[in-house]
Amino acid sequence: MSYVRQVYAIVWKDLLLELRTKERIAAMGAFAVLAGVLFNYATDQTIVRPQDVAAGLIWMTLVFGGLLGIGRTFHLEAQDGAFQGVLTSPAPKDAVFLGKTLANFVLLFIVSLLVVGVFMLFFRLELGSNPGMLVLTLALGSLGFVALGTLFAAVSSGTHMGETLLPILVFPLLVPMIIYGVTATSRLFADRPLAEISGNLRMLGAFAVLGVAAGSLLFRYVVED
Amino acid sequence: MPIHKLRRWGVVLASLGVLGTLVLHALVFFWVPTEASQGIIQRIFYIHVPAAIVAFLAFGIVAVSGALYLWLGDERLDQAALCAAEGGMVFTTAVLLTGPLWGKIAWGTYWTWEPRLTLTLLLWFIYLGYFLVRASTENPERGKRFSAVVGIVGALDIPLIHVSVLWFRSMHPGPVVFKTSGPSLAAPMSVTLGVGFLSMLLVFLGVFAFRYALETARRAAELRARANA
Repeated sequence: MSYVRQVYAIVWKDLLLELRTKERIAAMGAFAVLAGVLFNYATDQTIVRPQDVAAGLIWMTLVFGGLLGIGRTFHLEAQDGAFQGVLTSPAPKDAVFLGKTLANFVLLFIVSLLVVGVFMLFFRLELGSNPGMLVLTLALGSLGFVALGTLFAAVSSGTHMGETLLPILVFPLLVPMIIYGVTATSRLFADRPLAEISGNLRMLGAFAVLGVAAGSLLFRYVVED
Repeated sequence: MPIHKLRRWGVVLASLGVLGTLVLHALVFFWVPTEASQGIIQRIFYIHVPAAIVAFLAFGIVAVSGALYLWLGDERLDQAALCAAEGGMVFTTAVLLTGPLWGKIAWGTYWTWEPRLTLTLLLWFIYLGYFLVRASTENPERGKRFSAVVGIVGALDIPLIHVSVLWFRSMHPGPVVFKTSGPSLAAPMSVTLGVGFLSMLLVFLGVFAFRYALETARRAAELRARANA
């Protein structure tokens, strides 16, 4: 089997599993909507305009909700002992990592679209003239986040602290994603020219490349036993 | 190097470092001229900056030995990474304590979202994650690999974090020593800073050597206990 097919097999298996259980997507989706409800009451709208803080809230919701799902990437398989099977399969470890990351990416990307949709509805945001760029921003930010999240989910699920460890490991690394993701998102909502966003997108891209590369290289050391 | 020799080196280096730190404080309080624009508060610079350099140096050791450990699997590399991380955490704490003391007077606030402050705080938490991962794995071999991964990813992300927070907003004083046009310090200030850096480096290396010897002995004892059981 070629490398691409091996990655694809993992992605397909994970997505199929998710499609049948709907556990993680339901948890993340519900979290996103409910966080939006709470944020509505957490901002005093006589003092701050919701539009001003919406971009930040969108990304924080994505991070918190995302970790909820990503933290359980290895949970089902670990319970059944099925992950040993995945590891002993002829697929190289970095293909397993890429497959897991891509499957998580699909989930998180869906959640990110949901978050943006819900927040636009709740906070009466106007979609700027560049919805494509907004989608790209969400995709790049999610990809870097998911790559680091998947790597450290493998780490944290091997410890007895489990998912409680995940934010401590991942949050310090997310500063670039938050800065560039939030800046690009709020500028897109404010309909600012694209020239003001391209630099942010490049940095988000760099963050995604770093996350995927680091994860592909290091994942084998996390799962070998 | 045998353990007892390493331990002796550790004591010698750390003692020299402590002695140097005492000299440093004498220089800072009684000798070095007061800086013109900032006044007396600038004197904390001679402790803050060397501690920061050593903290980042220690993190470099953690990442490089961690990477080499994953590659070669040599126990000693992991030991070096662990000991450097412990030293690094102490120095990072020193940086985080001295910075706000200066900031309160110079900027009028203990904390501000300034790039180097943010970066150092994040570095502290990356170290914390490093120790938590180690402490929460039952299998020590696994803990070693996990913590190496944490150290490496931290080191890879740090330049990106640095660039991000730098472009975001900055009010930290610019570099005065490590810049392309050469240091812009008066001679007594350079000397004091040099003494500061040397003493802190000695303290770090001394504690590192001592801690390394201790860790070697601890692991040997663990092996013996397991063999006897």
